[in-house]
Amino acid sequence: MLMVPQDLFSKPAPDIAALEEQRDIPALIRHLASREPHVQAAAAEALARIGSPVTGPLIAALSTRNRARRLGIIAALGQIGDVQALDALAELTKDLSSEIRWQACIALGQIAGGGAILILHSSLRDRDKYVRYASAVSLDKAGYVPETDDDRAWFFAGIQDWEQLTALCDPAVPVLTSLLSDPDAELRRKAARALGAIGSSDAGPALLHALGDEDRQVRWEAMLASQKCGVPSMLLPRGLCRRPRLRKNPHIAGVLNFLLPGLGYGYLGKWWGIMIFQIDITATVWIFKYYGEANTYGILFPLYIILGVHAWYITKKMPEEPP
Amino acid sequence: MPPADLLFRPPADIGNLIAVRDVPALVRCLADPDAAMRKRAADALITIGTPAVPDLLSALQSPRALLRLGAIEAFAGIRDPASARPLIARLQNEKHSELLCAVVFALGEIGSPKAIPCLVRLLSDNAKYLRFAAAVSLDRFGWEPENERDRLRYRIARCDWETVRKAGSAAVPLLCDISHDPDPAIRSRVVSLLGEIGAGDGCRACEAGIRDRDPNVRWASVLAAMNCGITPARMPLFLASRERTGPNPVAAGILNFLFLGLGYNYIGKWWGFPVFMAYMSVIVLAQLATGPFLPYLVAYPVTAVLGLHTYYLARRISDQG
Repeated sequence: MLMVPQDLFSKPAPDIAALEEQRDIPALIRHLASREPHVQAAAAEALARIGSPVTGPLIAALSTRNRARRLGIIAALGQIGDVQALDALAELTKDLSSEIRWQACIALGQIAGGGAILILHSSLRDRDKYVRYASAVSLDKAGYVPETDDDRAWFFAGIQDWEQLTALCDPAVPVLTSLLSDPDAELRRKAARALGAIGSSDAGPALLHALGDEDRQVRWEAMLASQKCGVPSMLLPRGLCRRPRLRKNPHIAGVLNFLLPGLGYGYLGKWWGIMIFQIDITATVWIFKYYGEANTYGILFPLYIILGVHAWYITKKMPEEPP
Repeated sequence: MPPADLLFRPPADIGNLIAVRDVPALVRCLADPDAAMRKRAADALITIGTPAVPDLLSALQSPRALLRLGAIEAFAGIRDPASARPLIARLQNEKHSELLCAVVFALGEIGSPKAIPCLVRLLSDNAKYLRFAAAVSLDRFGWEPENERDRLRYRIARCDWETVRKAGSAAVPLLCDISHDPDPAIRSRVVSLLGEIGAGDGCRACEAGIRDRDPNVRWASVLAAMNCGITPARMPLFLASRERTGPNPVAAGILNFLFLGLGYNYIGKWWGFPVFMAYMSVIVLAQLATGPFLPYLVAYPVTAVLGLHTYYLARRISDQG
């Protein structure tokens, strides 16, 4: 049978059950860094079954920079549920990687004791929606009851309960305003819609800012919400003017086509631009060979000017993307 | 004078301009990059009122979009009924969508009844922002629709889809009017409504929706099609005739035939460009050794086969329904 090159490098799946039976903790920890999530999960479960004796070695192994291994270790720590891991997990909720923070919040939910609630409470305000969601779910599991309206708003935002969040009215406005800068456009849309449903004038500046959002639907939701929040209509067009423009620059297209004929068209997304460029290179070389330098430029220079002007003109005539 | 001063003019002394009521200079400040400066200039012009209108009218013809926007905002603040006519005329010439929107809002602020017919017309505009702005401005007039048709157009402009749906078949022609909105979300909503209303009059809009560039609009149209009286057998015909947004198979084939590798690059293969460079190097070296034509004679039969290969590859990856 023909062996494909991939098979030469692939390793057989490790026998996690045997390693568990031998209580080979270092080997199991090594397998937490496997590229295969099934192996990672199996190793984490095996370590969890061994229980508290592995907490120390797992915490020590967290010093690694390998993200997959750290994720595996956090999963194992969560399943063990040993409160000794709380400090280490608390530190991980401030990690730069959002996956690590996410996993740490899930693990804290599994420990659910000691200071876990306090740590998860601050993670509810994380910049990443996955982390916020995991924190809210973990807090919910731990029987957390928000004390203030602000906490309640962050909790509903984390668990993505838009109805409850909207029902909170004014206390939800600062939370929704901050969600308007979330990296996820869908979330920003929902936040703008919720602000419109609340109709608080405090949301005005944030909604005006959202009118310049990169996402078309966010801009539209912000427009509709602005009206409901009493934003003066004359402020809306200037807010919309701040949206990112995707329009091509006519000067760049013109200069590119003049200096490197065809690449200006390529810049405008014309598939045949690169073809013109290549034809020009070939033609230039052959004209250069047979007619000499001065004649080559004499023939091609006027043509380049025409191509440059043409690229500039068609860019100028391109319709602008509607807001 | 240091060169920096030649490039960057010092900011205008806005306080002094306001004090001396220098209208032309204040109008120029409307395009200032500093938002605070713009606001002070606009407020000063609004305070000056009608005497500032002639200069603002000149600014309305400026090639600078920000200056035009500033002038429109100032008109809205001054609320001089005489400025309504030039603003209505601006609706015909303005290219920027945001500025058109600003003109419509400004007409609402000025409150001249001359603008009402124009605003009512805009309720059926193709652009949702203009429709919406027209509805908001008509509200400022306390406008009441004269007939059911205008009432529905107003509701559509307000995106009050529930009311539109309840209106039933009366809403169908109006929904068809806006079925070419530039926003795919609106197009998708319109065809879904046509399907929910279920009148056969929405058939043409639904057919157009099946051929839409946007996959969500196409799907919404397919779901709505049965209720609009389109037989299932017709749907694949329309879907197949849609404008394709994926790579053009012919372009991929030609590129690979003439410039081996560029066709692969065009259909998104990262290694297309290295293949192209290798091919060109071999061709140039062969030309140096054997003259200009022989290498092409050898290369073209090979690149023709690879051109065909790219053509079929591109056809397979062309956009899905």
